[in-house]
Amino acid sequence: MNKKLNILIVAILFLSAQHVFGQEWTVPADKENVTNPSEYNLANVKKGKDIYQLNCKSCHGDAGKNNALPLVPVPPDVVSEKMQANTEGGLFYKITAGKGGMPQFETTLSEDDRWRLVNYIMNYNSKNEPVLVDAPPVKAKLLASVNEADKIVEIFAEYENKGEFVKLSGAPIIISAKKAFGNIELGKVLSDENGRAEFAIPENVIGDEEGFVNIVVALEENFEVVPVILDKAKVGKLKEVPKLIRGGEILWSTNENIQPWLLLTYLGAVGAAWLAIGYVVFQILKIRRYSKE
Amino acid sequence: MKKIESAEESRKLLDKITFDLTRSIVKKDEMTRFWFFILIMFIGVGLWGWIIQIDKGLGVTGMRDYVSWGMYIANFVFFVAVSLIGFLLSSALHLLKIDWAKPVSRVAEQVAIAGVALAGLIIVMDMGRPDRFLNVFLHGRFASPIIWDVTVVTTYLVISVLLFYLPLIPDLALLRDRMGSEVPKWKMKIYTILALGWNGNAKQYKTVYHAMRILMLLIIPVGLSIHTVTSWLFAATLRSGWDTTILGPYFVAGAFVAGSAAVIILMYAYRIRYGLKDYFEDIHFDQMGKLLVFVSLVYLYFNINEFLVPGYKMKSAEGVHLTNLFSGSFSSMFWIVQIVGLVLPIILLLCKYFRKPLPIAIISVFVLVSAWFKRYLIVIPTMEHPFLPVQNVPENFQTYSPTSIEIMITLFSFFAALMIISVLAKLFPVITIWEYAEEKGIDKKYLSETPKN
Ligand code: HEC
Repeated sequence: MNKKLNILIVAILFLSAQHVFGQEWTVPADKENVTNPSEYNLANVKKGKDIYQLNCKSCHGDAGKNNALPLVPVPPDVVSEKMQANTEGGLFYKITAGKGGMPQFETTLSEDDRWRLVNYIMNYNSKNEPVLVDAPPVKAKLLASVNEADKIVEIFAEYENKGEFVKLSGAPIIISAKKAFGNIELGKVLSDENGRAEFAIPENVIGDEEGFVNIVVALEENFEVVPVILDKAKVGKLKEVPKLIRGGEILWSTNENIQPWLLLTYLGAVGAAWLAIGYVVFQILKIRRYSKE
Repeated sequence: MKKIESAEESRKLLDKITFDLTRSIVKKDEMTRFWFFILIMFIGVGLWGWIIQIDKGLGVTGMRDYVSWGMYIANFVFFVAVSLIGFLLSSALHLLKIDWAKPVSRVAEQVAIAGVALAGLIIVMDMGRPDRFLNVFLHGRFASPIIWDVTVVTTYLVISVLLFYLPLIPDLALLRDRMGSEVPKWKMKIYTILALGWNGNAKQYKTVYHAMRILMLLIIPVGLSIHTVTSWLFAATLRSGWDTTILGPYFVAGAFVAGSAAVIILMYAYRIRYGLKDYFEDIHFDQMGKLLVFVSLVYLYFNINEFLVPGYKMKSAEGVHLTNLFSGSFSSMFWIVQIVGLVLPIILLLCKYFRKPLPIAIISVFVLVSAWFKRYLIVIPTMEHPFLPVQNVPENFQTYSPTSIEIMITLFSFFAALMIISVLAKLFPVITIWEYAEEKGIDKKYLSETPKN
């Protein structure tokens, strides 16, 4: 019993000491020099970026912008020296194990994904030729129309090249539907060599009560473009009007929608009471009449 | 019932009864003036408070986003509750042919009229824009319990006034015929008009009996509905503490407790003030005491159901509410109300001694005051615990305490109710003379004689 307690106390002291003095984050030697099984190429770096945007950006911020959350210690920027001082094995270890404010990702991300994150971080390492370049956004223009009969959206995309707008080919175009609380993405299409794309609206898109959908056509982040909004395209399913108890009549509703039984009960009870009152008043008048007898 | 045969004796007894029971009307001394002065003072102060509230808006009250039903609504429920006694004493017991209740029925009817009239007024005073009061009727929704409540309160007021008036008609004729120089001319004029030319013929008596019977039957469903519908204002919501199926009978039982206490206090006041020892006899207090014990036991039974069952389960939101009542910020009020207003009176009134006039009147005061606080406990704690927190409000919005304006207006309602009762007592006998005389064996024919003097 006593022994156990001692171990516990020692363990607590040890752990809290770790916390207090744990400015240095050391990686076990055997983990330090593991080689990255995931090849350093555009596809992997891009995938790594997507995973980073989903899981890490909220704390670490955007690469190179130094906009991390003000935690203690501050999560280092991906581009920062501190981050880049790690070996690939070290990065993998740290992402896997976590420490303090840095969560562990061993159970939430697959090994492959963690290695791709390392690929993404290594994109900013001086030893590597960057494969992913964050170019300044390109100005672009979109033209879109909808064919309601075939439920197809036709899009033309152009981008600015040396002061002139030319066809934008091979760019992903995002089609969404405008809803009360933001846009819901319906899908993506790539523009062809003429900057043209066609998007078939899925059958299951729900419009308003008459089937109208407001479609938003936009490009990905790295383009500066005004999204095209196609208002009231009749391409959706009719929104189902919820079936209320007994059609339109609901309790606590306006008089137009009152339940007949409720109205009848009310009017019946009130009518009966006041009829009786009227009868009594009539009796009182009779008393007056009888006084002449 | 023994009949007095001799005409001489009958006339003498009737004279005495009339003399005693009209003392309240005739009596005019310093005390009367002082009483009315006090009443008018407080009513004036309360009206002044109301003017401030109309001018500045409901912001002068303690009601905010969390607690939007404050002391006014609690007070409203209290007055509706008190008024219900009219239906119990002057109808239900009458129909059950319980004789001792007869002299008490006019007192009960006074309480009923004052209570329900004030209940209606309090609702108007709770409105931010009383000038829009008519919109309740013009644009009311039939599906809303609030409309049902407004309707039933109005109906009950009319029936109560009629039930007060009908048995009064023969008395009014008596006053018209017998009162002379003792009362001012305007009063005599009121008696003459309201007596409807009553001369006491058989047809007239038959009509009065018939109409009274109709009203007594009518007031039973209406009386039950008035307080049941008032309880539905709460029970038709999902809020913890209100969302229970027994709230209707719970309210009705509680109303009888409050109303009986009010009637006992008033009986005692009349007995002392107008020397009516031989009319509000010890036996009446004794019987009222038994009635109070009975209705209190019924109420206790509902209380046990209302608190023990959810208290046993302590469902999340309900549990917060109940903990607040049992051991939280409302606990002292809650336990005092339950013990002083319910448990102790039951125990004490089981002894014959405490059913004597003075002790029972004192106990009734405690019962009545507790009844008021009980309504406060029904309305406010629930409002302080909404299911969804109201967001971005200052800290002081989350709890409620009434402001001085609210207290002023609430005091107004008490004194206005007392004013109605006092005026009724000053204008009309507090016991139905003709019924009482008949009870004592005086033939009806002597009632319509004009004494030659
Ligand atoms: C909850 C906020 C949070 C999230 C989410 C988060 N981190 Fe961290 N991260 C931190 C903090 C705080 C530190 C600093 C820990 C320390 O030094 O004690 C850190 C440190 C790191 C380090 C070590 C840097 C060094 O000092 O060597 C790496 C590598 C890292 N994070 C990668 C990631 C990756 C990759 C993700 C996404 C899978 C991620 N982090 C998600 C908060 C976070």
